[in-house]
Amino acid sequence: MRGLVAIYRKELATYFRSPIAYYVISVFLLGTGYFFLYNVFMTGIGTMNETFQNMGVLLLTVIPLITMRLFSGEYNARTMELLMTLPLRPWQIVIGKYMGAVTMLLLMTAATCINLIPLYLYGNPETKTILSGYIGFVLLGMACLAIGQFFSSLTQNQIIAALITVPVLIGLWFIGHLQSFQNSYLLRSLFGYLSFSEHFADFIRGLVRSEAVMFYLIVSAIALTLNAGYLQWRR
Amino acid sequence: MIALESVSKRYGSKTIIHDVSFTVGKGEIVGFLGPNGAGKTTTMRMIAGYTTPSSGHIRVAGFDMATQNEEAARRIGYVPEVPPLYDVLDVSAYLSFVATVKDVARREIPSELDRVITACRLEAVVKREIFKLSKGYRQRVGLAQALLGKPEVLLLDEPTAGLDPGQIQETREVIRTFGEHHSVLLSTHILPEVTLICRRVAIIDHGRLLAIDSPSALQQASEETNSVTLDVTAPEQPLREALASIEGVNAVSVRPLPGHDSLQRAECQVDAREGVEARIARAVAARWELHRLERQQPTLENIFLRYVGARQVEAPQP
Repeated sequence: MRGLVAIYRKELATYFRSPIAYYVISVFLLGTGYFFLYNVFMTGIGTMNETFQNMGVLLLTVIPLITMRLFSGEYNARTMELLMTLPLRPWQIVIGKYMGAVTMLLLMTAATCINLIPLYLYGNPETKTILSGYIGFVLLGMACLAIGQFFSSLTQNQIIAALITVPVLIGLWFIGHLQSFQNSYLLRSLFGYLSFSEHFADFIRGLVRSEAVMFYLIVSAIALTLNAGYLQWRR
Repeated sequence: MIALESVSKRYGSKTIIHDVSFTVGKGEIVGFLGPNGAGKTTTMRMIAGYTTPSSGHIRVAGFDMATQNEEAARRIGYVPEVPPLYDVLDVSAYLSFVATVKDVARREIPSELDRVITACRLEAVVKREIFKLSKGYRQRVGLAQALLGKPEVLLLDEPTAGLDPGQIQETREVIRTFGEHHSVLLSTHILPEVTLICRRVAIIDHGRLLAIDSPSALQQASEETNSVTLDVTAPEQPLREALASIEGVNAVSVRPLPGHDSLQRAECQVDAREGVEARIARAVAARWELHRLERQQPTLENIFLRYVGARQVEAPQP
């Protein structure tokens, strides 16, 4: 357990001793701020629904910036040789890194709460809907992080890691659109079930469905298991 | 302390390491010699647990690397060829991270850090970010992390590469001190380093262990490179016959030294037994005037080249 916590703390130190964390949080806040201003002040509707939708898409582009270096950076700096020869199991490395990335996600998410101030000052938003939107956003982010982290473990080139992660996340976001082209009920259900955006839409509407919660958690668990399995296999 | 039994490593259809077996005992420093691409780093990585052998067994401090990797890792200090450093961390934060992962008790971490910082002479850079360090300091931070947690086994892959002569001296001293009570396997290109600090030498090439013995035993075993050179005032033919009849002399070549009347330089290939040069001296001095006699022991470099060269002749690589 100490090893896992040490990895987690090392990850946080790496984020905040380099410009990564500040850059990613700034880009995300700027983007979210713009969408919030546009959705709320230009339309005059005092909800976060549209903003959450935009935050979801923005997340798909920001996640690879966080995950691309997680393992590729270690291979490149030859520090993977240290991690794999210290008394650590691959799953401890994977979970420690993942916890660091999730902490970044939580900080990014917490920072967007600044938008709620004018919303509550000048409007009458539904707190429960906002809360479920944030829960969905964090779960979506956790699934995306796990996928990005897994792809980062496959290559020592950070750019390639990001270039694989972006289309996969975008594909999983838009895969629900393929339903309209399918006659087969099975395929329609499958595409609907795999769609990141459709599950997220439930949360935005204020529904915290256990099926959607489990979906994101299972996707995260599968990606992290593949990640740890790959590290073990590489030996 | 380290035991390899018939270890092989294959990548696809290509075999990188062929059936390597050797042991390193407690309090022993073993030098691992081989040209580039010989399989030194792969072998070190397998012992350290970074990669697993395709066949065979590796035991470190009594633990099987295949099934008790974590227990073994607690007893290993490993310095890879490129020091594994986190550039954005400062030296102290980096060493604290490694100490924590190595399960050094929380309250002992400061004293443990002090110990390795002093041993590796890092006092001046403790709070400096690693990316600002010179190559020599980076190498020493790499060594310091390996010494954390007082490992029983130290694996060093080219530990003195890139250091200046003073730093090389200090690093050798750290290794020598450590090796008095622990096991050290040291891979290097630098032959004098091996003679200076290693009790035994393992020579590896094309993934095969060619020899493992003490430097002196390897020198003794290398008979054909033992030679005795002497300058004698004597007629050429009788000198040749007299030398060839001495027990222990295998071959003789005699040639006149230019510019010196009747002064001959004779070179005798002798076997490794002691006392051959004394017999030659007695036989020659009894009949002629002996000016100089010198026995040339094979250098480790010659032995290394002989093993590696012989292997290349036996199995030419594409």
